[in-house]
Amino acid sequence: MELESFLFNIVVLSMIMNIALALYGIFTRPSLVKKIISLTIFSDTINTLVIIIGFRHAVPNPIPPVAIEIPPTPQYLKQFVMQAVDPLPQALVLTAIVIGLAVMLFLMFTTLQIYRIYGTTDVRKISRLRG
Amino acid sequence: MILYYLLMALTSLLSIPAVYLAIIERDLIKAVIFSAVQSTLYAFLYYLLMAPDIFLTYIPVGVGLYTALILILIKKTERYEGE
Amino acid sequence: MARIIHIFIVVSLVLLVAILSMALSMGGFGFAMPPSDVRTLARIFLNTTFNLDDKYRYISAMSPEAVTAIVWDYRGLDTLFETSVMFIAIVGALAISRGAGEKLLKTSVSKQGMSLITKTITRITIVMILAVAASIALHGHLTPGGGFQGGATIAVVPMLLIVVFSLYLFSKMMTVYKAVTLRSIGLIGIALSTFIVLIIALLYGSSAYVFQNQPKIYSQYGLPSYIEPIVLGGTLLLFNTFEAFAVAFGFVALFILFTFPEDVMKNIIIGDE
Repeated sequence: MELESFLFNIVVLSMIMNIALALYGIFTRPSLVKKIISLTIFSDTINTLVIIIGFRHAVPNPIPPVAIEIPPTPQYLKQFVMQAVDPLPQALVLTAIVIGLAVMLFLMFTTLQIYRIYGTTDVRKISRLRG
Repeated sequence: MILYYLLMALTSLLSIPAVYLAIIERDLIKAVIFSAVQSTLYAFLYYLLMAPDIFLTYIPVGVGLYTALILILIKKTERYEGE
Repeated sequence: MARIIHIFIVVSLVLLVAILSMALSMGGFGFAMPPSDVRTLARIFLNTTFNLDDKYRYISAMSPEAVTAIVWDYRGLDTLFETSVMFIAIVGALAISRGAGEKLLKTSVSKQGMSLITKTITRITIVMILAVAASIALHGHLTPGGGFQGGATIAVVPMLLIVVFSLYLFSKMMTVYKAVTLRSIGLIGIALSTFIVLIIALLYGSSAYVFQNQPKIYSQYGLPSYIEPIVLGGTLLLFNTFEAFAVAFGFVALFILFTFPEDVMKNIIIGDE
């Protein structure tokens, strides 16, 4: 139990380290395209944390939430409920990935339009322009 | 059982240098390639966490479409950031 | 000199994560491991997703795949609003680049695109990608997969076609208006599938719920779902097909707008009227 607890804590803490690095990238880098790359890393890491919440330490081994035997006997259903991973966070993360993709596409179009009108993608130069 | 946990820890420890190099790099094309490496490691992590639906969504969206669209965006705007 | 500083920072970050997790696993806080039992709500979802018992006949979703049943049957309204958010993003992108779309067919095509080796390999792999994507989208109620997964895999094909052959050759087959029209046809198909059980129940003289898939307690109408060795899936099959169609053509419209050549766009923005 000691070794498995140590390995699982490594996964959770490295996701938190990725969040901190992505936030540093959004705040300090002056290029608009670098900010978009850091924003995608940030949203992907948050989705991974939600899936880690739904994981389960079932005794032989956990299985994905797909029933294999058709038609299912009652013994198979009892074993399935005791071994399968939680399916609800996976459905919510599916919706979140699609919405993140739509927002990111719109941000890319806006960045392209800023470059065509002002000629630069550096936020320090844009803030000196005053319209 | 302990093999799953070992592979999970190794994959997430390998993704920290990929994210750090993607943020520090000044040539934007190299930053996008490091971001694609991080997406591949995350897809392997989704397989180990027993989530096959998320894995099938994340590979064409994260590795295929994001990388291609940002490469086209870099070609149309500037390549090196900063002075 | 700068490389040594970067290597030092990376090694120290990895060591920080490892040592902190060792300190936590020796009894720091209370949460050290994932729990060995899920919540009551997840147990209800897993128990009633494919159950032929008489006790659970009126709350079961009749599909062996739990995640697809949650996305399209138990929580169908979330997916409806997610599709509309994607459509609003397409409307925003169309509004930024107005005026583009008609002026591209006037130039001639002469030896554009990449070399012959790339074109031949692309022609072979496009067929394989379409076959895999059809299998993922249509088997959504039996294996992991579904509407959005198949649609995103189909959307890799126009991106390959625009990059390897040129945009001029691609826009002879498909313009922006055709792609948006085909996406609207897919969305009309999704809207019809939500009301189909209601229409069937009204023809027989009683009422049903919207988004209904199987017979429920107060209205005993539903689409066929399990004929002895074959799992049909009710309305889930119709939903998956139309969603894959709509998602693929939405991405085609966005790609054509995004990869417009820059000199044509500059003429449109600066204005040549």
